[in-house]
Amino acid sequence: MTDFAGLEPIAMDFSGAGGGRERALALLLLSMADDEFVIGFSDSEWTGIGPILEEDVAISSLAQDELGHAQALYRLFVDVVADGRDADAVAYDRPPDGYIHARLLDHPRGDWAWTIARRWLYETADAARLAALAETSYEPLRQLVDKLRREERYHEMHVDAWLERLAGGGAEPRRRLEAALTAMGPDAGTVLAPLPGELALVRHGILAEPFAAIEARWRAVTSTRLIGLGLAALPPTTDPDHARSGHSDAFRVLHADFTMVRRSEVGATW
Amino acid sequence: MGEAAGAVDAIEPAGVLEPWEVFRREKDGDPMRHGGSVMAPDATLALHYAREMYSRRQESVHLWVVRRADIHDLADLDLLQPPLDRSFKKPGGYVMRDKLAAARQVSGQAKPKANKGAR
Repeated sequence: MTDFAGLEPIAMDFSGAGGGRERALALLLLSMADDEFVIGFSDSEWTGIGPILEEDVAISSLAQDELGHAQALYRLFVDVVADGRDADAVAYDRPPDGYIHARLLDHPRGDWAWTIARRWLYETADAARLAALAETSYEPLRQLVDKLRREERYHEMHVDAWLERLAGGGAEPRRRLEAALTAMGPDAGTVLAPLPGELALVRHGILAEPFAAIEARWRAVTSTRLIGLGLAALPPTTDPDHARSGHSDAFRVLHADFTMVRRSEVGATW
Repeated sequence: MGEAAGAVDAIEPAGVLEPWEVFRREKDGDPMRHGGSVMAPDATLALHYAREMYSRRQESVHLWVVRRADIHDLADLDLLQPPLDRSFKKPGGYVMRDKLAAARQVSGQAKPKANKGAR
C-alpha cells in the first residue's frame, strides 16, 4: 500500500468526513486531481518553445485541458471532504509533500521526446483508470468521467501519433525516446499503484476493480504497442509502496513555480 | 550525440513540414468553408493541429485538411475576368439600364414612376 506519511494533516483533515468509503473516495479524487494538475502545469512549460508553432499551440491546449480536469476533480474532492477549503486552496496551498501525484510525474518535462514519453505513459494509464470509473456509483464522478474520457481520447491519439513518429523518425529521435522510456519505465506503473482503501471503493461500486487488475490490463496493452514499434516492453514498477510520496527535487522546483503568484499575496482574491 | 560521428540514419528521416489547408463546418447544414492553414508533416498531425487551431473552443463540427500541394489553382485574370462585356452570359441577359437611359434622352420621355399598388 502507498505510504501517505506527510500527507495528513497538511493535505487532508477528515474530521467531518465519514468512514472508509468517503476517505477512500477523497484519496482517489485527490490522487487523480494531483496527477492532472502536475502534468498539466509541467507540460504548459512548452508554451512559447514548442517544436513548431502548431505543436506549441497543441501542447499548450492539451496542458490547459489537464488543468481543467484537475480543477473539476479538486471540486469533487472539496465536496467530499467539506472542510471549508475551496479547490484553489487545495491546488495551491499545500507544501510539496502534501501532493499525492504519481512518481512518474516527478520527472521533469525534459526534451520533446521525454515529454512525449511521459505523456504517453501517463495518458495510457489514465485512460485505463478512467475506464474503471466509467460506471462508478458515485454519480458526480460518473458524470465528470464521461466528459473527461471524451477529451482524453483525443489526448491519447495526439501523443500516440507522436510516439510513433519519434520511434520511426530516425536515429536521434529514437535514441532520445528510448532514453526517456528507459528512465521513466520503472515509474510508469505508479499511476495505477494500489490506493489505501481501494477495496472499499470496489465494494461500494465506485471503482470497477482493484488497481492491480487495472494495471495488468494497461501493461498488456502498452507492451503490445511498444513492441509493435520495436521498443522494449515496460519493466516492473520500482518501489510501488512509495508510488505517490517522496517527491523529487524537480517537483519541488515546479511547486515553487506554480505556487509563486498565490504565495505573493496570501489571501488575495484573484 | 553518443553515436560515432557520421552514423547514417537507417530509418527514413522525419516528415518534412508542409502547408495544409483547413476547411471547417461551423454547424450542421452549413457548407465547408476555408478556415486557414496549418503546417504539418502528415495528414494525422495536420488534423490534430487543425483541431487545435479551428475547434479547440468548439467552433466546428467537421474539419477537412487538404495538402496544399494537392490543390490545383487558377488565378489568371485574363481567364477569370475577361476584359470584354460578357453580360450576355449572365442569367439576366444584357445590362439594359444604360441603353434605356440613352433612348429616353433621345425621345424626351421621363423615366416612368414606380406604379405601387395601382392595381
